[in-house]
Amino acid sequence: MEYKSNINIAKEVLRLRHSQMIVNEKYKSGLFKVPIHLALGHEAIAVAVDSVMEANDKLVCSHRNIHYNLARAKVLKPILDEYLLKKEGLAGAELGSMNLANASKNIIYTSSILGNNLPVAAGLALAEKVKGGGVVMVETGDGAIEEGSFYESMLFMKSHALPVLVIVENNGWSLATEISERRAEINLSKFAESLGAGFEKLSGNDVYKYIERMKELRERALKDSSPVVIEVMFETLGGWYVEKDDKTGERYINYHSGPSPKIEIKELPEIAHSASDPVFVLREYFKEDILGSIAKEILKTVKEEINEA
Amino acid sequence: MKYVQYLNELINKRISATEQLVIFGQNIAAGSCLSGLTRGLKIRKGGLIINTPNSENTLVGLGFGMMFGGVSSVFFMKQQDFLLLGIDQLVDTYNFIRRKDPKASFTIVFIIVDDGYSGLQSSLNNFGDFCSMARIPGFTITNKLDAKEIINTNIVSPGFRIIGVSQRLFNTELQEMNKIYSNDEKTIFQYTEGDGATIACFNLSFPYGLELHNKLKEKNIESSLFSVNALTPVIWDKIIENAKKTKNLVIIDDSKSENLSCDNLAACALEQCALDNKIVIRRKFLSNDWLFPNADQLSIDYSGIINKLSRAIKK
Repeated sequence: MEYKSNINIAKEVLRLRHSQMIVNEKYKSGLFKVPIHLALGHEAIAVAVDSVMEANDKLVCSHRNIHYNLARAKVLKPILDEYLLKKEGLAGAELGSMNLANASKNIIYTSSILGNNLPVAAGLALAEKVKGGGVVMVETGDGAIEEGSFYESMLFMKSHALPVLVIVENNGWSLATEISERRAEINLSKFAESLGAGFEKLSGNDVYKYIERMKELRERALKDSSPVVIEVMFETLGGWYVEKDDKTGERYINYHSGPSPKIEIKELPEIAHSASDPVFVLREYFKEDILGSIAKEILKTVKEEINEA
Repeated sequence: MKYVQYLNELINKRISATEQLVIFGQNIAAGSCLSGLTRGLKIRKGGLIINTPNSENTLVGLGFGMMFGGVSSVFFMKQQDFLLLGIDQLVDTYNFIRRKDPKASFTIVFIIVDDGYSGLQSSLNNFGDFCSMARIPGFTITNKLDAKEIINTNIVSPGFRIIGVSQRLFNTELQEMNKIYSNDEKTIFQYTEGDGATIACFNLSFPYGLELHNKLKEKNIESSLFSVNALTPVIWDKIIENAKKTKNLVIIDDSKSENLSCDNLAACALEQCALDNKIVIRRKFLSNDWLFPNADQLSIDYSGIINKLSRAIKK
């Protein structure tokens, strides 16, 4: 696999992680007025999407979009400036974080409202069909698939043979409730099958495997002229434990938005020593000392870019 | 010619002259074709006509998505009430896309069910409420002249807007109207000029205003007849200057909202005009009647109004 030997892919995962950790540090110090949803642990799919997007492909994002914006922009500073609502920000301080799009890099639309972006992705794909264009990829989550717009949009995409990759980032949580606390299980595979759409589940956070699969899925969507639902299993990293009110132990706080208090910048930016961390998974391809030295160099580069070296 | 037939002709002419246009909606090319509104629509090469699923939220988002992709579209909707399901798109998505002056066009044309007896949903016939949510450009169509100007100018034009047509007027014969004035935005039209009274019609109340104008004329009272075809803000100068001359202002608004566009004009007139008569004709909701199937027509005491104006003019 050509990507396996491509160290730049690993560098991208590390850049996305370091960049988010820098944002987190600034968040902790109270620099941002706009709400930001970090995507620690989501780096592998964002790098994979960026890697497989062709020139005519379009991406539509949700409120948790920092990983895709970092992957497409290749730099942190304009994103940071946007979060700081500076005029030199990526969107001129018009969009902040939850709506941040970047048309010059084919992130056409980003919505802060759960499920809102799916109909827009369907329309964008219809426009691509009328004009002749590429594949539309839309990012959503396990919370947004509870919205009626998910069903409606999938129905329209399939009815009109639109090649759309519907990327469902499933981190198991909607704010502070886990799936089992709020609804019945949704079997996305059977749902997709019921419409005659494609389905694939990705897990393990291996960026190289994700790229390989995403490339195949993109081609499949085009060949079949059909939407493909891609359920990507995650743990959104950055959660923490606090003592219970009745002092009987600790309870877990799922990371949703805002700063993550326990995350600190470090040269090798691993958060979890498990497959739930895309940075940890890079150890399958690179020895720790090599990974450490690459990560250190990336951190230096990102800090230089934002004039904090 | 009947209202719906004329609209259908205007729409078809404009659509068939536009390349790469997508026309979509439920049953727009099947059955009654929205009671004739979309019958026989023809598109040019590169366009599409789509009978869609019943998915209004997605269909509103679809139009915006096509705008992002540079493709223009018109969404025909059988009832304005159905647009409730797409409100999120009207606000969030429209506010995103409007920032950059999009080149493509997206228009939603819907039928305002204002002929009564439709039950609970018919409490929502107020076009202005939809417009005000995100300051959406919107136009109501009340007669032959505004139909022509609004359809030709707006149905395919860069940007987004909604156009409301009246079910109550669907099978009525359209009257020829002459225009004295309209603003560039096609939100305010003046049809007659007279020194006896100023009549300002809001929402879809133009036919009532025209009837009042004609009845006044029978009594040798000439009136200035205006129609406001959009929500506020509208620059009221034309109407205010006219009311200052006639000193008699009649405002008619057949909306069902608690927040009427006509209130804005009334406040402005109160501030700027010394009037002999200020007559505001609006719906009066004194009980829960508005919740139940009822006639939708405004009840207007034309004789009372004419007597009142006659007395003022004689003085």
